[in-house]
Amino acid sequence: MPDLLETVAAGWATLLLIAGGVLLLRAQDALQRLLALDVLVAIVVALLTIVSYARDVSYYIDAALALALLSFGATLVAARHVIRGRTP
Amino acid sequence: MLDTALEVVGGALLLLGLLLATIGLYGMLRKPRIFDQLHAAGLVTGPALILVLLASIAADSAETLTSAVLVILCVLITSPLSAHAIAQAAWRRRASRDDVESGDDQGSTSPRRIA
Repeated sequence: MPDLLETVAAGWATLLLIAGGVLLLRAQDALQRLLALDVLVAIVVALLTIVSYARDVSYYIDAALALALLSFGATLVAARHVIRGRTP
Repeated sequence: MLDTALEVVGGALLLLGLLLATIGLYGMLRKPRIFDQLHAAGLVTGPALILVLLASIAADSAETLTSAVLVILCVLITSPLSAHAIAQAAWRRRASRDDVESGDDQGSTSPRRIA
């Protein structure tokens, strides 16, 4: 993958990450924060993938897979917590 | 010949995926309500991420492509489920709070009291 494209993509993904941070700070309640964190994890997965293309190794995508699975589990548990409160 | 074609296609997919992510994030920043934000977040966690992962066809090693396909499968399964969980939590919380949202409700039915 050409060098310029990798640099542009990495810079763009970092800007998206900053925008996701702004989204997280501007969230008004817990569910909006949860959604912002889900989107942030998706952007981090994209950034890890771009780094994996740039360095021509495959293990960053494996880390991205683990992060995506953890985020999915955490989102489900947190959404359930918002409805039900603390489970005794 | 095939290498150049794959590189062009991979680069185009990568840029298109980042463009979709930008559009989705811009939509999320502009909308104040959770349901509108869910609509835009589905764009970021779904198609944008899949396009960026599909750009792995331009990568040199085959392990990158295999890992990327695994992540695509995971995203296809988990992204709608997490969006649905957040939407269901928002709907039920709205029902238990029992207030009517003013403004751009567009005639949607109010949620029933659950239990």
